[in-house]
Amino acid sequence: MAYKKSIDEYEFYNRSKTGEKCSQDDWDLMHIPMKAMEIKQRYGLDFKGEFIPTNADMADKLFKAGFDMLLEAGVFVTDTQRIVKYTADEIWDSVRNPMPEFQLGTGRDAVTVKKRTVGDKKGPIIQGGPTGSPISEDVFYQVHMSYALEKEVDTIVNGVMTSVRGRPPSPKTPYEILAAKMESKIIKQATAVAGRPGMAV
Amino acid sequence: MAPYDSHEVSQLNELKIDLDAISVIAHYHANSDIIMDEQMPIYGGYAGGLEETAIIDVATSINAYVMSGASWHLDGPVHIRWGSTNTRETLAIAGWACAAITENTDFLMGNQYYPCAGPCTEMCFLELAAQAITDSASGREILSGVASAKGVVTDKTTGMEARMMGEVARSAAGVDIAEINKILDKLVSSYEKNYGSAPAGKTFQECYDVKTVTPTDEHIKVYEQARKKLEGFGLVFK
Repeated sequence: MAYKKSIDEYEFYNRSKTGEKCSQDDWDLMHIPMKAMEIKQRYGLDFKGEFIPTNADMADKLFKAGFDMLLEAGVFVTDTQRIVKYTADEIWDSVRNPMPEFQLGTGRDAVTVKKRTVGDKKGPIIQGGPTGSPISEDVFYQVHMSYALEKEVDTIVNGVMTSVRGRPPSPKTPYEILAAKMESKIIKQATAVAGRPGMAV
Repeated sequence: MAPYDSHEVSQLNELKIDLDAISVIAHYHANSDIIMDEQMPIYGGYAGGLEETAIIDVATSINAYVMSGASWHLDGPVHIRWGSTNTRETLAIAGWACAAITENTDFLMGNQYYPCAGPCTEMCFLELAAQAITDSASGREILSGVASAKGVVTDKTTGMEARMMGEVARSAAGVDIAEINKILDKLVSSYEKNYGSAPAGKTFQECYDVKTVTPTDEHIKVYEQARKKLEGFGLVFK
């Protein structure tokens, strides 16, 4: 059946107010494990000890299984304790229309993220950085510069400052906002001093 | 932050979201920002076992594009016992989920790195190399890391781990998948008995000259040792 319009955050929000009610415990402890087990059996999934599939049919079955999981289970919204459901056509609409490629960064430091294939001869983009690890305020600049100085690294993923102006950036305090602002400013400064001012974060 | 930076929004485990995140997505869309939708499915968590967690991983990846209108999805299957993305099971979940997504969609996929061992140790380099091989060979577009020492110890990440991630990813690109599986089996077997006693490693201040932002000789030596071990497992560096 044709969908009325593509799903976006506004339609998702609307459905989060009207979807089926469910407790979070039921979702976590019943819906998710039961549905995942049911779908695994439906497709006879067995990875047979392989890290990467050599059997394309089994990989296709896994994709169908994941699609079914999203279609049949939906997404649980913690604030409203309701389940947002999509139709199959709405999911296919998103599957068929992703951004085909995009650019991270600017100028000579920009990289283009393009589709790769299984066993592709072209290597991936390297996003170097602490990936959310705690980093001291006094070496935050140097730690991030250590990534920008590596030619293997294309873009930066940030760490988290353990303090700002000597105070912990606790949630829902002005220090949290200050830390977020300072993290991005310091990283941009570190990449610039490393000679890569257009590098993306 | 500029629109060409990656703007993060995170889904919750498993197939859950809060409405603050939905508002954040609206803000990103209004700015035409690149959106990185992040989620780390937990092996041994709500979903259960290997294939079940991979099913959740695929569902979550698709949801990144349906719900978040993501530019790319940052994955990261993680082991409930070890807090690591580099175990045999979590590598298999990542490898299978990415292959399934890559063969059936045009989604752009990333993965994040949480080895057990800390920087300036051979185990840390070997762990992250296993994931770089898996990610590169299974078709991922972006490798994001490395949060050494499980990403929980202050100042225990350095640029050298990202160097290894890049060198290994490039070297694994284009290698036959059956051969990749053999290399990974030998490589993971070399460290998987040591999760409980993984070396803590050194802080950034201990393995870099902080003033010149240069790795110490010891750090370079450990890197070279790990590189030789990887060659012994069959990886040919390019």
